[in-house]
Amino acid sequence: MTGTDTPPLSTREADARVAVDVKALQAAGRTSVARERFTELVTRHQRRAARIAFHYLRDAADADEAVQDAFVKAYLHIGTFREELPFEVWFTRILINGCLDRLKARRRREKWLAPPPLDAQGVERNPADYLPSRGPSPEDLVLSGERHRQLMDALSQLPERQRMVFMLSHFDGRSSREVSAMTGLNESTVRVHLFRAIRRLRVLLTENAAARPRVTRRSNRAAH
Amino acid sequence: MQLIDALFRQGHLSEQSLVEALLAGDRPAHLDRCATCAERAIEMGRWLDDVQSIAAEAADAAFPPERLALQQTQIMRRLEQLDQPSRVIAFPSQYRIDAPDRHARRVAPAWVGVAAAAGLVLGVIGGQITARLDTANTDAALRAGNPARTTPADATGPSLFDFDLEPTMLRGTPVGTLDEMTPSMVSARAGG
Repeated sequence: MTGTDTPPLSTREADARVAVDVKALQAAGRTSVARERFTELVTRHQRRAARIAFHYLRDAADADEAVQDAFVKAYLHIGTFREELPFEVWFTRILINGCLDRLKARRRREKWLAPPPLDAQGVERNPADYLPSRGPSPEDLVLSGERHRQLMDALSQLPERQRMVFMLSHFDGRSSREVSAMTGLNESTVRVHLFRAIRRLRVLLTENAAARPRVTRRSNRAAH
Repeated sequence: MQLIDALFRQGHLSEQSLVEALLAGDRPAHLDRCATCAERAIEMGRWLDDVQSIAAEAADAAFPPERLALQQTQIMRRLEQLDQPSRVIAFPSQYRIDAPDRHARRVAPAWVGVAAAAGLVLGVIGGQITARLDTANTDAALRAGNPARTTPADATGPSLFDFDLEPTMLRGTPVGTLDEMTPSMVSARAGG
């Protein structure tokens, strides 16, 4: 080992360094190099951003656009990024605001649209569930699809803030402090929202699990 | 352990305490002593893990690596478009009928005003000169037709009113013939 060896950078430090570099390159007018450097940030945070946006918007196409918009906004406004704040917190805030705007726009749009298609149980079907894919067997797909749908249904019944806090805390593994920085909510409020979300989700998922077999049995009896 | 747990739950942990302990990662000492709460904590932890894995699976199924790669390409393309200055398409020149000629010499608006004022002054002067020449010609004609009155009564010459008062002045002239044909103001007053 030589004396010139430097300790490996943490993700946070690496992000901050890239962000500062991009800022400087943009200021110097070297935009193509700035873009290349920014690709590092995209690669590092893209999957996480896609997960957050997907759970928030419950639509892959919408989530895709929201993630793209968030990265473009981050690149455009990287001049306002402060190094003392982790890049992912700053970026997640941009992403969440974008998701919120999309949800509002969707609600406005849905007022003018026909009601969504429902299945035999009167549950809204996600068209993405019908898309073919490679990998697991059809049975596994049905089971995991069912479990996912139940979870998504339950999540959709949570108030917006509870859902956001639950997703960031639990799906994304953020601490209360980080969620507080990302959402602008108080740390204690974050904890309260998280607990309420978990309690409500447990009740909803238990209710759904209990209701499904009853519905299936009733529909089977009706078929006979 | 919180006081409320000791009072209302016979010392067992509340669900909130369990959740906070699980998510924060600090295990309360009570869990080592109480099998019931330890069981609840395991069950809660399993449920949370289950939910997390379902959610992650669903998101990863919706965003496979190919889709993420495509998304990254699209992001970079959009950034590239942002950095490039937008092209402005010029309006076709052959359709510009009244386009101003940039090479033509422009006249300052002040000179247009000066020229207009000069034209007005010249017009007034010219008008005055013409009027005076006409008056001189009329005087000469009158002097030729009536030699007894060589000197006019005043500098400006006789007015139409004078002619009306002295009809004899016009007699024998072409104007006099016309005058005889039209009723004079004096005779009209006398008659009226």
